[in-house]
Amino acid sequence: MSELKRTQLYDVHVAAGGKMVDFGGWDMPVQYPTGIVAEHLYTRHFCSLFDVSHMGRILVSGPQRVEFLQHVLSSNVMALDLNEAQYCIIPNENGGAIDDAYLYRFEDDRFLLVVNAANTDKDLVHLRKEVQAFDCTLTDITKEWASIAVQGPKSRELLTILSGGAPLTELMKNCLNTLPLEGRVARIAKTGYTGEPLGYEVFVKSEDAAWLWNRLVELGAKPAGLGARDTLRMEAMLPLYGHEMGEDAEGKEIPIYAVSLAKFAVSFSAQKGNFIGREALAKQYEAFQQIANRHYSRADGILPKKIVPIVLLDRGVMRKDMPVYKDDKMVGWITSGTMVPYYVAEGEGMATTYTDETATRALGMAYVDNTVETDDILYVDIRGRRIKAAVPRFHMRVDAPPFARPILYTPPVEDKAATGVNYRPEAMELIQKATENHIWRQRKCINLIPSENSASRAVQLLCASDPAFRYAEHKKILSFYDHEIFYYQGTKFIEKVEEKLVEQLRQYLGATEVETRVISGQMSNMAVFSSLMDFKNRNNRKVTPKRLGYILHNHIMKGGHLSAQPMGALHDYVAVDPVTERNAVVPFPVLPDNEYKIDVEETKKVIDQYRPEFIIFGKSMVLHKEPVREIRQFVDEMGLDTTIMYDMAHVMGLVGDHFQKPFEEGAEIVTGSTHKTFFGPQRGLIGVNYKPDELKWNLWKTIESRAFPGSVSNHHLGTQLGLLMAAYEMNTFKDEYQGNIIANAKHFAKCLKAEGLDVAGDPAIDYTETHQVIVNVGYAQGYDIAERLEANNIIVNYQATPNEESFTASGALRMGVSEMTRFGFTKDDFAKLASIMADCILRNKDVTEDVEKLRSEHLTMKYCFNDDEFTSALENFLGVIGL
Amino acid sequence: MNFPKELQYAKSHEWVKEADGVAEIGISEFAQDQLGDVVFVNLPQEGDEVVAGEAFGDVESVKAVSDLQSPVSGIVCEVNEALLDAPETLNSDPYGAWIIRVKDVTDREELMDAEAYEAFCAEEG
Repeated sequence: MSELKRTQLYDVHVAAGGKMVDFGGWDMPVQYPTGIVAEHLYTRHFCSLFDVSHMGRILVSGPQRVEFLQHVLSSNVMALDLNEAQYCIIPNENGGAIDDAYLYRFEDDRFLLVVNAANTDKDLVHLRKEVQAFDCTLTDITKEWASIAVQGPKSRELLTILSGGAPLTELMKNCLNTLPLEGRVARIAKTGYTGEPLGYEVFVKSEDAAWLWNRLVELGAKPAGLGARDTLRMEAMLPLYGHEMGEDAEGKEIPIYAVSLAKFAVSFSAQKGNFIGREALAKQYEAFQQIANRHYSRADGILPKKIVPIVLLDRGVMRKDMPVYKDDKMVGWITSGTMVPYYVAEGEGMATTYTDETATRALGMAYVDNTVETDDILYVDIRGRRIKAAVPRFHMRVDAPPFARPILYTPPVEDKAATGVNYRPEAMELIQKATENHIWRQRKCINLIPSENSASRAVQLLCASDPAFRYAEHKKILSFYDHEIFYYQGTKFIEKVEEKLVEQLRQYLGATEVETRVISGQMSNMAVFSSLMDFKNRNNRKVTPKRLGYILHNHIMKGGHLSAQPMGALHDYVAVDPVTERNAVVPFPVLPDNEYKIDVEETKKVIDQYRPEFIIFGKSMVLHKEPVREIRQFVDEMGLDTTIMYDMAHVMGLVGDHFQKPFEEGAEIVTGSTHKTFFGPQRGLIGVNYKPDELKWNLWKTIESRAFPGSVSNHHLGTQLGLLMAAYEMNTFKDEYQGNIIANAKHFAKCLKAEGLDVAGDPAIDYTETHQVIVNVGYAQGYDIAERLEANNIIVNYQATPNEESFTASGALRMGVSEMTRFGFTKDDFAKLASIMADCILRNKDVTEDVEKLRSEHLTMKYCFNDDEFTSALENFLGVIGL
Repeated sequence: MNFPKELQYAKSHEWVKEADGVAEIGISEFAQDQLGDVVFVNLPQEGDEVVAGEAFGDVESVKAVSDLQSPVSGIVCEVNEALLDAPETLNSDPYGAWIIRVKDVTDREELMDAEAYEAFCAEEG
């Protein structure tokens, strides 16, 4: 037997008491004295270090590096931007895996391919043979560079200490960066093999490996061995070559698409062209889709089996190659199995916490007939005994950071429909609870949700009056000189209301036209997106319309709203870039030292590069004015046809001298909602500045038709009536209201800062130019603090900052001054509130009495009509209609 | 590492304590250390016959499964079912966590005393 190879960290492992074993020809630690169970748990709740220096590291360089990689890998290498990584497979001609691998692009002119340790020699033989046809060089740097996986919820915190506070990488999985760690060069990837939502793989020069390892141990990370690496990857359902790839229990090759992860690792993009195994993989992909559509037999020849998660329902442990039965028929084998520990959870939803109590569960993966589906009951032959098992949907979820969350299997339950129940007591209770809720939210709470406001009594009453239950579909008809034609009788009152509402909002926005039938901000945006797509394709109706792209928008992680994201309102309207195979959106670059603000100069470069056909300003975490004027000027200078829209949902009530005048600054379309800083009930609106003689007048005409009949047939006439009153209020009181909003927000921010809270934003402008104030309360602490404030009758949003990857890891509170300003809060009141909140947040004091006192001084709504004559008219209205 | 004097040991790393015609059987500290975290124990049932040198159950660690060999022949008269819920006691207290008790002992493997077993382990380890 040849001598086992040693990694750069061998001595460190031995010194730490690692149990060394032969792993693919390497002398590696399978565990340390604490044991696999403790190592697994420590990874999930703190941070573990894994020596992955045994894996093969191959540099790919030369003029034809892209062509070569496209030829030998399954993935689309062109989709990789600088500082991105991707999972890929090295396929053979049959559509089987020679190996699976990760491709990193740390440098513009070189790629780094990392392959399995046991396969490195085999891979290199294959790759060196294939590379001969290309002007491309392979360099094995396994010995020159070491690699340490730093995995677990504390991984970022620990590595950021070594980076001196510099951000490691962008937050998304597979993002990369090169930066010094205490002066030593490190290549950092947000990747890993544990399923941890926070986890990094760090490449350092061989001589720095022991230093990095020991520094991280000093900071609190603990070493973990190959044993824990295996249990972690199994819980995360990550395949392992030799188990879920390679050969099955009978020695037959497992097709790549048997592992569902293949759908991310294989590309048939035109850019990629032909590659090794493409033909076989295309057939597998077809079969994969047949299985997904439950046409199992159509896949039998190509994909007779697939890899599924499996969990034991009775006692035992599954191991590789154990036979699996469904009913009495053998359907396949276990490919990986073990007993996995977890922390027992308490509570539900965001209030879920983990106790110190641990338990274990027997789980694994199985390669079984393609007919096996989630919730099927299977039996595993464990040394002669058939032990009951089930197919869960997954073992774990990673979409609620900072923790990877184990999902314990629960069998499906059937709903029992209740019959013959007397609901009168529940109806009574509903009245009671609704009363309590109204009093609480309107008179007892200090509401700081920035997307909310309270409407005046007049607005509230009008919303509830008769039009709330009517229809009034209408459409402009050219045969009648574009006159509005109504489809229903009894609508002459609401017709006048709509006319006046349009007039009021045109005046408010400075728009040429306004559409008011859309009933939410999101719907407003979808109607505009649909119209733009229609406008784009107006000259060719005989083919499937092309979607929009590129679109420049505010990324959700930098405060962008859902209504401008591909996962939100853009979903059905945004194109996929054929090169990257991703949505054709590009985010506004933000300032490095203030991520709440768009970086105008960088944005110009992005516009020059992508030539976006559509720019969407506006966001939901908003501290600054949007640079509409600068970008309009640049777009015009460039001569681009770009359409510029400003989604003013949050700041709709601030249009004017104290904030921004969107159309004067160069927006063509303004959308938004009517109930955040504006005074209305919950609706949407769309304003434009197009005139009948302009090309884009037709875009406006399309917007009208995408509102009705495109989006809504019943456009909620009750709230439209209420909105007209709100528009009268706004046009009457806006100067005073808007001035006070901005002044209050700035003062509130300054006072919170003076009270010792960490207020986000630029102190030079008193932190905010809007109604919003953002306070950082610590990574993943947002929810707990917001709950504590709610218990004290202060209502805020917990919110992820640009440095947090998900709302579940929120470390900030997002607040707005609009509702309390409307209830008459002055700067002095906000100063008092800041002090009360600091007591609650920093000192955990019960502040309910202080809140009650402050709130009780402000129960009358301002910036609305409340003179005697108006009030008496309102009382009369109430009495007559009997509400 | 601990090798209690009052016990006898098999080459397959089980320990035996015989008293009043009943043999209590467990695994040694050396065995649990080699296994790593024990996560599951497969036990026989009361009344089962065990044969010296043959498997009577198995013990699973995260890493692997290992047979439990009986150092004696006889009839299982008691099973430590607490191990089903707390298999980790085999790691934390190997000499307290007996696995089975066997009565009507008819035959025994060649067993070692503590000193011989310690030497045996030193050679294996």
